[in-house]
Amino acid sequence: MTHTVSRRSFLKIAAGTGVAAGLNPTVRRVALEPFVRPPEEELPGKATWYASTCRQCPAGCGIIVRVINGRARKIEGNPGHPLNRGKLCARGQAGLQVLYNPDRLQNAVRQTGGRGSRHFEPLQWDEVLDQLASSLRGVGGGSEVAFLGGLMPTHLYPLVTRFLEALGSPAPVLFDLHSAMEGRTQSHDLTQRWFGSMELPIYDIGHAEVIFSFGANFLETWLSPVSQSYDYGTMRQGQSGGRGFLVQFEPRLSGTGASADQWVPVQPGTQGLIALGLGRIIVEENLGRVGSHREHAQLYRDVNVGAVADASGLPVERLQKLARIFADADRSVALPGGGLSSHTNASQSMDAVMALNVIMRRLGRVGGVFLPQQVPADAFSAPISPSPFRDLGKLVQNMRSGRVGVLMIYGANPVYELPRWSGFIDALTNVPLVVSFCPFIDETAVQADYVLPDHTYLEGWGYQVCSPGADRPVVSSQQPAVRPLYDTRSTAEVLLSLASRLGGALAQALPWPDEPTYLEEASAQLFGSSIGVFDARTEAGFWSQWRQVGGWWSAKPIMQEPELAGLTEGPLQVPSASFAGKPDQFPYYLMPYESIALSDGRGASQPWLQETPDPMTTASWNTWVELNPETAAHLGVTDNDIVRVVSPQGALEAPVVVYPGIRPDVIAIPTGQGHQDYGRFAAARGANVMDLISPVPEQEVSLLAWGATRVRVEAVHKVMTLARLESLDGEGRETVR
Amino acid sequence: MSSTGVRRISLGRAIPLILVGVAVLVTAAILLNRRVAQAAPDQPIAFNHRTHADAGIQCLFCHPNAMRSDVAGIPSVQRCVGCHQTIASSSARIKTVLSYWERSEPIPWAPVTQMADFVFFSHQPHLSAGVNCETCHGVVGKMSVVRPVVTMDMGWCLDCHLKQPEPKVARLTDCLACHK
Repeated sequence: MTHTVSRRSFLKIAAGTGVAAGLNPTVRRVALEPFVRPPEEELPGKATWYASTCRQCPAGCGIIVRVINGRARKIEGNPGHPLNRGKLCARGQAGLQVLYNPDRLQNAVRQTGGRGSRHFEPLQWDEVLDQLASSLRGVGGGSEVAFLGGLMPTHLYPLVTRFLEALGSPAPVLFDLHSAMEGRTQSHDLTQRWFGSMELPIYDIGHAEVIFSFGANFLETWLSPVSQSYDYGTMRQGQSGGRGFLVQFEPRLSGTGASADQWVPVQPGTQGLIALGLGRIIVEENLGRVGSHREHAQLYRDVNVGAVADASGLPVERLQKLARIFADADRSVALPGGGLSSHTNASQSMDAVMALNVIMRRLGRVGGVFLPQQVPADAFSAPISPSPFRDLGKLVQNMRSGRVGVLMIYGANPVYELPRWSGFIDALTNVPLVVSFCPFIDETAVQADYVLPDHTYLEGWGYQVCSPGADRPVVSSQQPAVRPLYDTRSTAEVLLSLASRLGGALAQALPWPDEPTYLEEASAQLFGSSIGVFDARTEAGFWSQWRQVGGWWSAKPIMQEPELAGLTEGPLQVPSASFAGKPDQFPYYLMPYESIALSDGRGASQPWLQETPDPMTTASWNTWVELNPETAAHLGVTDNDIVRVVSPQGALEAPVVVYPGIRPDVIAIPTGQGHQDYGRFAAARGANVMDLISPVPEQEVSLLAWGATRVRVEAVHKVMTLARLESLDGEGRETVR
Repeated sequence: MSSTGVRRISLGRAIPLILVGVAVLVTAAILLNRRVAQAAPDQPIAFNHRTHADAGIQCLFCHPNAMRSDVAGIPSVQRCVGCHQTIASSSARIKTVLSYWERSEPIPWAPVTQMADFVFFSHQPHLSAGVNCETCHGVVGKMSVVRPVVTMDMGWCLDCHLKQPEPKVARLTDCLACHK
């Protein structure tokens, strides 16, 4: 070996190593920040747990937040809460990243460079409120205040309606994509039609023996997934006698479908038809042990099982088998899920599914269908239902015609969530003043004049009447676990301050000095209730228990038996679903589905949720297009090949995931990505599937038919490797920039 | 070769030299690290423990949580201001304290004593067992500028744990006593 090192080089190397060792950081730089004013209940070094309510979706699960030295460290499920019973989903766990998100707005701002300029100038709250109050004074005589909300917290809704009423403006319009995709409006309508109630029905999943789920992704995103997952566990472990049996009817295998005993990959839009066919078979063959079906015969008078088989692609024998499975069980239940609401025949399909519960006499029976018992106080009794889609259309019309003088937007991101043809963005230009209450600069806030950031939910007050509830009436309370990190202000406080500034009828309508006083007064309505899980000797004691326990609920389960109010007379019919796009130009059905982590896009700002792999494809951090292997082979593409998906309305490009759990004539794309704004983790990532959704010419106006678009798929001969957990070498993994 | 003034050393012969060099450097780095760890950190306010101790204030007056919590705690700004609203309120240092109070801001003190993250240390059982503050922190009451007096490594912990009464030693020297 002739490798030699000169002495000089050796010394150089030695000196270099020495310098490198010297540069090595020796001491961690940390600061110990004491409290300025220590809270009474805080003991530094020991955790304090605050009971509150999760706001990552509208279910209203009870949480407990671990706080050390005034900082929130961990969120867990509240073990005493009857809805989630100590459990919490990934979205709930990620709530800390809403609080500590680096892209939160830290103060009120005005967009000084004009809408869309993204040039924001900080404002003092007093200044903003004065300016806003003077704008509101100018409203009236032909112009009005409009309020567009997502499915807002139940404590805020009465304040908003009182506020608008006192201003002589119409009631708030509630729309968000999550509610649209779980078919909330249609579920409210369903109970209205059948049982004359505006509540959401409760399906007793935990005690059912056989569940037929028609497009209800109840373990991932539908209504109250944590509570339903808990009940599903009970049902599967046979705690009520025998292992339960689940059949899932959906075109794409969801996480719920994967947990089912049978997955029936139905043709999009035919779930209702299948339910009708099953009902017809049950009635015709007098199946089950529930007595005579004679009285139900007229419901299925017009149903031809052969025609159902032809339309749905399920052979008659398969339908007969399924009908027997459903009818032979003592406790069977059929779930009309959010998937049904994606088609133009939504309400008829849901009727057909509910009819299965009716003919099997499952109303008010264990493992069947119930209605919730109302919370026995006015403040908590009226359920909030998202507005029908036509109300949004009316709002857009009013905006366009200049009737809307001030538009306030809370908890919704319509600019991102609504398809372009809804006209919302264009109509926005005719509104003189747009105010957003979003704690982030999302796509809608970018189109606003003022952004008045609300607290995040770990810093704010409130309550949520759980709907659909657990097996009992539940009000889940929300309290600050930590002091607000920034100069933000709750929307309720903003409305109260505006009311006191404007005076008159408005100040009378909203007389409370602050939000906690309003909440304390509301909670006092339950003081002395005989069914509550706790009571106190004084109202103040009740209020402190309310916060400590995490809300109020009855000590024992109480549910109502639904009483049939109508629809049992005439024959049921499910018209065939209509789709936008001609089959010869657009051969595939597009099935957008809600991402379990990102929901309708609201989770995209939280890196933990971005990192959460989709349970079925293990993909994360992006948008992908799911193709059946047969379809992929036909198109000549494979995993990670980028394809262009074209609908009559628009196009997007995204990499392919070849997924056997999908019909060959359907392609599926998850929601939640494709943000232009909404912070560094969300922006410029993936594509927004809502860009493809097209209006269906003959569609019912009360519905955004988000699954009624046909598309074509073109290979673009580019490749983008998706970050997938399956690729164990981690290749192509996209990390946070 | 020698005409160029550079003497060549073959790599085979250089390896022991490199090893020795590295060993010297590592030792130096460890010693240096200790020195830095034992130096008094810069504080946002030149707080004088001696003045306070001379005034007869007990440790637990300002660090009461040592009796009931894992950490002794840094006194809240409110605790400082409680006395200093009237005592020595015209001195420059106290004015700085008061300015934090007026801005409702915490004073970012630099920690003097640091225990490693992987040790689940709690003050409370140590005080209950009758260990004095001075045993681990030195005679802070006589220091104007507090600096750490012991290197809190495992040997130091065990030295004391092994000297405890016989029936307690087994429990106190169990790994899980400090490492969970």
